[in-house]
Amino acid sequence: MKRLFGIFLNGLVVENPLFVIMIGLCSSMAVTTTVANGIGMGIALTFVLVMSEVIISAFRKLIPGSIRMPIFLVVIAAFTTIMDLEMKAYFPALSKSMGVYIPLVVVNCIVMGRVEAYSSKQPVLDSLFDGLGMGLGYTWVLLALSIVRELLGNGTLLGFQIMPSSFEPMIFFILPPGGFLVFSLWMAASNSLKRRILASRHKQEDLQQSCCTLPADGTAEKA
Amino acid sequence: MKRTQMFKLGLILAAYCIVGCVGLAFVYNGTSKTIAQRQQADLQAGLKEVFPKATSFKPTDKVKSTNPKIVIDEAYLAIGSTGTMGTAVKAHGPSYGGDTTLIVGVSTDGTITGVKILENKDTPGLGANAANPSYYVNKATKTTFAGQFAGKKLTDEFVVKKDVLAITSATITSRSITSIVQTVAKASADALGIGGSEQDPKAVLPEADTIRPAATPMTAPAGVTVLDTSVGTKGGTVVGVVATAKAKSYDGDVTVMVGVATDGTITGIKVVTCTDSLGSSILTADFAKQFVGRKAGTPLTVGTNVDAVTGATFSSKGATALVQQVADALAKALAGGGL
Repeated sequence: MKRLFGIFLNGLVVENPLFVIMIGLCSSMAVTTTVANGIGMGIALTFVLVMSEVIISAFRKLIPGSIRMPIFLVVIAAFTTIMDLEMKAYFPALSKSMGVYIPLVVVNCIVMGRVEAYSSKQPVLDSLFDGLGMGLGYTWVLLALSIVRELLGNGTLLGFQIMPSSFEPMIFFILPPGGFLVFSLWMAASNSLKRRILASRHKQEDLQQSCCTLPADGTAEKA
Repeated sequence: MKRTQMFKLGLILAAYCIVGCVGLAFVYNGTSKTIAQRQQADLQAGLKEVFPKATSFKPTDKVKSTNPKIVIDEAYLAIGSTGTMGTAVKAHGPSYGGDTTLIVGVSTDGTITGVKILENKDTPGLGANAANPSYYVNKATKTTFAGQFAGKKLTDEFVVKKDVLAITSATITSRSITSIVQTVAKASADALGIGGSEQDPKAVLPEADTIRPAATPMTAPAGVTVLDTSVGTKGGTVVGVVATAKAKSYDGDVTVMVGVATDGTITGIKVVTCTDSLGSSILTADFAKQFVGRKAGTPLTVGTNVDAVTGATFSSKGATALVQQVADALAKALAGGGL
């Protein structure tokens, strides 16, 4: 149980898909202009990631290596479409405001990367926790980005006016350059936290590892 | 050996696809009804929003778009207690990030009763604010981008940053949607039989007190289609002629109405429609005003004696060339008599 919890925690900071592995950045930059979109996208991606990882991990011995990529894509595309349809039916407003980025989860590198690097080789339970951890790691980053961007760029949070009416919204933060700036600042904060976590781990386990490299098990590199 | 291996892999892939498709088919079956219901409810709510007092909506096929890029999806006559109140039209047309779908309501007195944006695919946080009910282009009065069209007269100019407030950092979205609204509203007005005043030849020949159709239509210059020729009289004497003509412009058509007095002076012009991309910005009165007083027969050139509308230089050139051709032909017709 402790091991599974460790896998889950890994995705939050130490192996965060956006801040450490640095994949799936384009859609995260595009949807984080409002908090509602950030949460929606986070949940959508977590759903697709967890379901795809679990299914592929369960069938991993029945997937021939030479055609694993098309099979991964079929599975991911199926779950993305399911989620797209469900969102259209039950959360039409959210589905409308995110538009094309929902179907684009199919080609999101995070899903493909985790399926290929992790769940195609690991047991189901491990994959489940990896998917949850990575999904949550993705979601909190989107939330962090969108809170700053919506607050400064629009003066609102979840559509509610927060800033006083005298506050002139800084459109810069809604635009891509502002997104990159907020992203890099959050990344600096997250990586300093990661460094501290790894440092304390080294003390306990007395592992020889530089503070700045990826974890020794190599999962991140393969992704 | 190799061949059997290939078949085996193909079959395995096919098996995964079949399982995936069956799963999707179940989900689609389960959700398609709800999705269709939602869209229908959205449409009904949208129609109700632009015509709150209407009791029923009757489908009509009379509304025709004049711009091939702007498509009328569905058109309804709004029926109230006093009969037909106007039209509510669902249409879509190109915007910054894809098509925007909206509903435009036009009442029988030539006023837009409301605009509701159903779908917009522009940049989230910028252009997408067109469909955001809590994004105000005028914070003091809490007017949304679509909301500002309510109460607007069809005879207004529909020019972004002039009589239409733009969405911050989304000028292209603002212009595109304004152009869709204007085109749809005009098409609705035509269907309702209230053409709007821009069809009134008196606007370009103010001196005349009566306008009658010309006995013989104006001879069309090459490449120009003459839609209408009229003669303006004052107290029985001919004071000028008015013609409406259409010609190719940058990537669409431009239609202008030109009035010429008996002495060959242009009394006024009106750009009726322009289907160029971003061409609707030349429909302004400012652009038309500069032709007043010019003599037919003198060259009109954009850049030297005609100012182009910023962002629509090619459309300005197209319209200017057409105005010149029509004015020259009218002057010739006046000299020849027989009108």
